[in-house]
Amino acid sequence: MEKIFRLSLANIRKHKLEAAALVLLVALCMLLLGSTLGTMAATRTIFPQILEHTQGMENFILIQEKNYDPEFKHIIEEDERIEEVQTAEMLYSMSSNYLDREGKEQALYLAFITEFNNNRIQKTELDTTLSEAELAAIEHPITMPYTMHDTMGYRAGDPFDVIIGTRKYSFTIAGFYDTLILDQVSSGVKMIVSDEDYHLLSAVMPNYVCIGYNDHRGQGGETLFFDLLEKMEDYSNLDVKNGIRGMVYEDLEIGVTFMLQMVMKLLIAMAVIIILAVAIMIRFRITGDIRDQIVHIGVLEALGYTSGEITLSYVIEYLLIALAGVILGTAGSFLLIPALFHVFEMISEHRGTAVISVLPVLLGGLAILAFVALIAFIRARMVRNYPPVRAFRKGQGDHRFGKEHFPLRNTKHNVHLRMALKGFVENWRQNLGLTVCILISSTAVIFSFIIFSFFTGNMNAIAASAGVEMSDLCITLMPSADAYAFSEELTALPEVRKATPTANENLMVTAADYNEPMFPISFKDFSVTENIFPASGRFPEHDNEIMVTNMFARHFHLKNGDTLTLEHLKVQKKYIITGFVTSSTNGGINLYITEEGLQRLIPTYRPDGVEVYLEDGADPAEFRYTLTQKYGRSLSDTAGSAAEGVSCEERIRAEAEQQIAEMMANYGVTHAEYAIRYGDKVISGDSSGFQIVSIQNLNDILQTQLAGMSSAIEMLSTLFAVLAAVVITVILFILMEATIRRQRKEFGIMKGMGYTSRELMVQLAMRIMPAALIAVILGTVIGVAATGLLTSYIGRIGVNMPLVILADILILAYCFGCAYLGARKIKKISVHELMTE
Amino acid sequence: MSSSVLHTEKLCKTFSSGGLQQHVIKNLDLEIRKGDFTIIMGASGSGKSTLLYALSGMDKPTLGKVFFGDEDISGYTNDQLAVFRRKHCGFVFQSIYLLENMSVFDNVMTGALAVQKNSPELVKKAETLLKKVGMGEDSWKKYPNQLSGGECQRVGIVRAVINDPQILFADEPTGSLNSASSRDVLDIFTELHSKGQSIVMVTHDTRTALRGNRVIFLSDGAVVGEHEMPPYGTDDARARRDGLQAFLDQMGW
Repeated sequence: MEKIFRLSLANIRKHKLEAAALVLLVALCMLLLGSTLGTMAATRTIFPQILEHTQGMENFILIQEKNYDPEFKHIIEEDERIEEVQTAEMLYSMSSNYLDREGKEQALYLAFITEFNNNRIQKTELDTTLSEAELAAIEHPITMPYTMHDTMGYRAGDPFDVIIGTRKYSFTIAGFYDTLILDQVSSGVKMIVSDEDYHLLSAVMPNYVCIGYNDHRGQGGETLFFDLLEKMEDYSNLDVKNGIRGMVYEDLEIGVTFMLQMVMKLLIAMAVIIILAVAIMIRFRITGDIRDQIVHIGVLEALGYTSGEITLSYVIEYLLIALAGVILGTAGSFLLIPALFHVFEMISEHRGTAVISVLPVLLGGLAILAFVALIAFIRARMVRNYPPVRAFRKGQGDHRFGKEHFPLRNTKHNVHLRMALKGFVENWRQNLGLTVCILISSTAVIFSFIIFSFFTGNMNAIAASAGVEMSDLCITLMPSADAYAFSEELTALPEVRKATPTANENLMVTAADYNEPMFPISFKDFSVTENIFPASGRFPEHDNEIMVTNMFARHFHLKNGDTLTLEHLKVQKKYIITGFVTSSTNGGINLYITEEGLQRLIPTYRPDGVEVYLEDGADPAEFRYTLTQKYGRSLSDTAGSAAEGVSCEERIRAEAEQQIAEMMANYGVTHAEYAIRYGDKVISGDSSGFQIVSIQNLNDILQTQLAGMSSAIEMLSTLFAVLAAVVITVILFILMEATIRRQRKEFGIMKGMGYTSRELMVQLAMRIMPAALIAVILGTVIGVAATGLLTSYIGRIGVNMPLVILADILILAYCFGCAYLGARKIKKISVHELMTE
Repeated sequence: MSSSVLHTEKLCKTFSSGGLQQHVIKNLDLEIRKGDFTIIMGASGSGKSTLLYALSGMDKPTLGKVFFGDEDISGYTNDQLAVFRRKHCGFVFQSIYLLENMSVFDNVMTGALAVQKNSPELVKKAETLLKKVGMGEDSWKKYPNQLSGGECQRVGIVRAVINDPQILFADEPTGSLNSASSRDVLDIFTELHSKGQSIVMVTHDTRTALRGNRVIFLSDGAVVGEHEMPPYGTDDARARRDGLQAFLDQMGW
């Protein structure tokens, strides 16, 4: 055994650089695998830790106060599947904004709750760096979910300005806390404020009641949730499902862990890619080494070494190399685990406990070693084909009668290109391995590049995948307003390119066959939409036709032409599915239905929203101001503003309008009139001036919601690109080194004939280009196709082909550059030395 | 007398190993004349091959200069030397050094295409030359390991002369061949010389040296003697052999 071990060590010493490159790749693979496996257990602590920290309810129903009846709590309590029920008052708005650090207004779904109410549904544990005295000195304290600290970078003591309507509410951050609901920037954040501030905000924000219940850790699931809603509707005869937000245990857990699992799978995939590259390189190396040392192997065999022993020496050689890589990678992964876990905490927008699991890391390392040993063994067995005599003849069993490829007599333009092609064909096995390596790497790069450019590109691309219409401004109208008349008026404005009536966001119906809520997106004619595209089939045209999302269709095995029964307030109608839309919003429950189709189910339905598309160059913020000038302030703006005016009459009128706006916004008042006696005068008015409930800029909302995902994707894409570049670099350097060693004599002869080192370097680099070209083309096809796998999660991903082609060219140039530089050792070949050796 | 194609001034070549310096060529002044078949002879270690490689731009001198015509090539970079070699020189080696992974025809074309673009004339020329050295069409697609040593060397010669080099260098071209093959190969060199090709050949074989018209004898890196002969085949063979033998005896060969 010792002699075999010595043989292995001697071989490693002989090819130090190549061994070091392999160690590097194995270490990278182990680093990714180890740190992911080591963090996996820790990530599993995140969701339980939230439950432990919050010690509260595990399922929630957020219902507008105007639709809430105190009896609902009793209805829930009476269900035998329920352990515990609590209710809490809360304010929640989807048209709220905040001021970022540059003072720019940004969209953010905001909820406000008092500490007392928060304690009813969960435990509130303040995490702050401020002292008791500092906390006491804060006039308007606000306590935020951890995500505001971890992903938005806020710290205790920082100012935080909230914009409701046109009014600014300034707070100072008291600290942070853990919460199970409204815990993410993407879905909204629940802020704890003082009783006084809550009271102030309650006048300008929609009031909600949050019903929290426990059902033995989510055992009731969605079935229980819908049963409860049915019971509430039965009791109240109200459309309770309309405008509620429901969060059940399973959804909450998925919400926290889904992205983590995605990221971990991607990291493990990258580790697998690297180990495959390592396997291919080991095959190169062993094949090349056996060819180089064939005579030496013959001598060893003649001396009595068996082919098994020589094979074993190769296995040990690569095991030693892999072991060094695994040790380095393991050490690195233990250092990386805390940092990676922190990234995972950022992605999940929650905190967990960084417990390092040693066993999975060690098992991962053992798996790598076993894989390397297996690959080395399979390849090194080719030694059996060379008994001593054949080995002495340099492995030639017979004369060569191979087919001649690319004969030089047919050279058209460039002899170097032709000789490179000859070299490519002659080394096709090696190039096949190289193609696989570059293919895997370029797939990773192109995939990352598409995802990266998609998420960091303009919002139009993302809008195309959202499955919802993304106009410049989305106006929700008062029930009394006529959306068509309003749209016509808007269209006449010079800034407006188009205005389209639509359904507002609070309407919900149910897919009765599956007891699934659905969010109708309704237009009179879908051909006017700009961001909704049928992925298959066609738009609904008649009143009995609908489209659903791909995600919904996959989940319930629906196909084109199937019938779906929709229900609203006990009324059921059947609809034919005419097409499917890829949609990254609303969890795939979007329903695409014509206005007439919706009126079949809800005869009272009238469009109460308008999608406004502005002309190029028109500023949405300025147009919003124009709207308030023309139509008066929106309901939310008026309700949230102080009564202002120059004269006393104006102030009284403004105050009266504010009161009406508050009543309409918060209590469902549809019409109000006022008459106020002021001295001899009577000041009167009514609510008919209020046409607009709210104005939203969906672009801003989407940008805020995708901010966390974008930064995570940016980081992962960069990591993938760097790793792919490292893999390509190392492989090409090793390949060039091995080729030059093997063909040193040929290169020397060619130098003797007058070929310059530079020409030979170009020839050698060009040899790999057909492989690289094939790999990059295939990699692009696979990379583009792979983005389709994400369609069900984030919708249709637009591919910017010119940019992808540019990326392909860059990859090819990078491959050429690496190969060219890797071939620089040709310069060291001395013709004279070669001729006289 | 022919004009000079190559000449050296105070040419020195020193090899260093383990701190020791070995002066292989010492202040050598030599002129290679156009149209001459120059034979370089000498004992093993006398610096024959070193001189050949310095003259041909395969290696750089340690000191002194090598002039190709009026052009000093001793200061050239490796890539400049490569360009010089492919434009002006042809090489025939003792170990032949055909490219194992290329066919006979491609070995020839590799040399040709280093200098010129492919053309039907070039292909025709390669075919003619190969036929001329006895390599029939049936052998063109063969690989070196399918040929005999003599056949390989003939291919090597065609590869060396395909670009019409101004000077053809040969280092023991018959060193690895049997006597019949050696004779065939030397006949090719003689024919080339008869057509005006300048040749510089290193050998330690007297029969090979007889093919030249000028024999330079090296000892310890310096030219110690020179012997002139009429072109091969134009004089009495016996007298030629005796004259050369007398010269070599004088040199202590």
